[in-house]
Amino acid sequence: MRALFAVFKRELALFFRSPIIYVIAFALMLLMGFFFTSIVGGMSDSNQSGYAQQLYTGNLAVINYMSLFTFLQFIFAPLLTMRLLAEEQREGTLEVLMTLPMHDWAFVVGKFLAVWAVYTFLLALTGIYLYLLTTVSVLSGGIIFSAYFGAWLYGGAVMALALIWSAVSEDQLVAAFLGAATILVFYLATPFSSQVGELLGTGAADFVRELGLSVHYDSRMLNGLLQAHDVVYFLILMGIALFITTLIVGSRRWRAS
Amino acid sequence: MIEVENLTKQYGDVTVVKGITFTAEPGQVTGFLGPNGAGKTTTMRMLTGFSPPTAGKATVAGFDVFEQSLEVRKRVGYLPETVPLYRDMTARGYLMYLAEIRGVRQRRQRADEVLERVGLGHRANSRIRTLSKGMRQRVGLAAALIHNPDVLILDEPTIGLDPFQVLELRQLVQELGRDHTVLFSTHILSEAERVCDKVVIINQGDIIAQGSPAELRSRLERGARILVRVEGDPVAMLDTVGKVPDVSSATHQLGGIVITPRADAPDPRAAISRALVNAGANLLEVRPLAVDLEDIFIEVTRRASLGEAQQAAEQQEALKAALIHENQSEEA
Repeated sequence: MRALFAVFKRELALFFRSPIIYVIAFALMLLMGFFFTSIVGGMSDSNQSGYAQQLYTGNLAVINYMSLFTFLQFIFAPLLTMRLLAEEQREGTLEVLMTLPMHDWAFVVGKFLAVWAVYTFLLALTGIYLYLLTTVSVLSGGIIFSAYFGAWLYGGAVMALALIWSAVSEDQLVAAFLGAATILVFYLATPFSSQVGELLGTGAADFVRELGLSVHYDSRMLNGLLQAHDVVYFLILMGIALFITTLIVGSRRWRAS
Repeated sequence: MIEVENLTKQYGDVTVVKGITFTAEPGQVTGFLGPNGAGKTTTMRMLTGFSPPTAGKATVAGFDVFEQSLEVRKRVGYLPETVPLYRDMTARGYLMYLAEIRGVRQRRQRADEVLERVGLGHRANSRIRTLSKGMRQRVGLAAALIHNPDVLILDEPTIGLDPFQVLELRQLVQELGRDHTVLFSTHILSEAERVCDKVVIINQGDIIAQGSPAELRSRLERGARILVRVEGDPVAMLDTVGKVPDVSSATHQLGGIVITPRADAPDPRAAISRALVNAGANLLEVRPLAVDLEDIFIEVTRRASLGEAQQAAEQQEALKAALIHENQSEEA
């Protein structure tokens, strides 16, 4: 745990010292800002007159922008994770780390927690919209909690998925590209499940639908439906991805190089 | 203490290390000598737990490198050949980071201590990217020392240093050798000779000789070539030298005469100088050519494979390479 915490601390400090985090935060918030402006711009006296209307439009706004925020992670998550392991391989620092008395998983999880913390920071930036919305509409605490908690888990899962490729490839761009592709496959699994069903039957369709990210987040947690199995889905996805990453990092001990 | 027994490493069909056996004792510097690609780095990587052996056994500080890798890693300080560092950290920050992972107490104090020891106390706050190659090498060494390990494994630590830094580093390694087990790889014999209490020579994955440097040198100096310098044109004296018994050949090289004595002949230097003085030459210098790894290597392999024509041809090639090397070091 000591080693894990040391890796976490160094990585987190490095994130906030390097410009990339601020560039990413800027780009993400710019996109989000345009979208949010158009949502609020759509509000008018005609649909904001009563309490019920304000409650409806307010929460719909949260649902809309969080749906975009999580979708955009297929680009932003790989940009954050691509460096983490690829750079250690390329610079050769992995050789030093692997001869330290530290388990491979501690190293991987330390890195992962750092990037997840960075994601949490990005997610927290959207809190400004919550504040702005309270001035023009009414928000429901339950939906907000479910949407944000879900988005937090969603981020962790996609970061873990993208991290696999950083362990595979020494090239950061390749890692980022493959990470984005992997996240997109998981994101699109749900909408494409019906096509799979036509080919392979309803059992396969159900499986592919539940494998996808959007059925667990967009269709359920984002709408305030907080269920244990959706939470478990994200945790398992993270666990499996981190396990694979650890195996790949550890495999360097066994492979010719 | 490092004990290696029949250690073997294969990458696919290629056997890089072929069942080597040696020990490195505590309180000694053991030199690991061999040309590039001999298997030095691979062996060291197996000893540090970075890559597992294909067969055989190795224990470091009493722990098996494969079965008890974490215990071994706790007790080993390792300086890889190309020192990998985080360039955006300060020297102190990097050391404190490693110290934290290793669970060293009083990290800041310890980091400053080892930096002082490698002579970098004044650059503790510099980012590693701004340090020179020699300084980076020393940061790497400081990193290997941070937890005061029982065993130090240093992979060619003097490569890329200037002569003054090389001297400092050798001295440091010798000091460390007094209370640690040090395994130190190099391809320079004179370095091994100065620094090490014991030398293990490895070539193509096999140990071809081991012993104290003095032992190895005395075995080698029999038959080593001799450089003679005379006033005036050395070509005139070639014949005189060639007629001395025990001289197998004499050529005009390196601004003097390079003499190859007959194999297994006693030292011919006295006879040569006498012959030259008698012939009226003003003798300036008679000395054995610097014996370096190429020589010892050629010599040991020659003795191991006398009579094989193809290998003799290869040796000729190697000899030429050695001569070029010497020419360069003569000029330097």
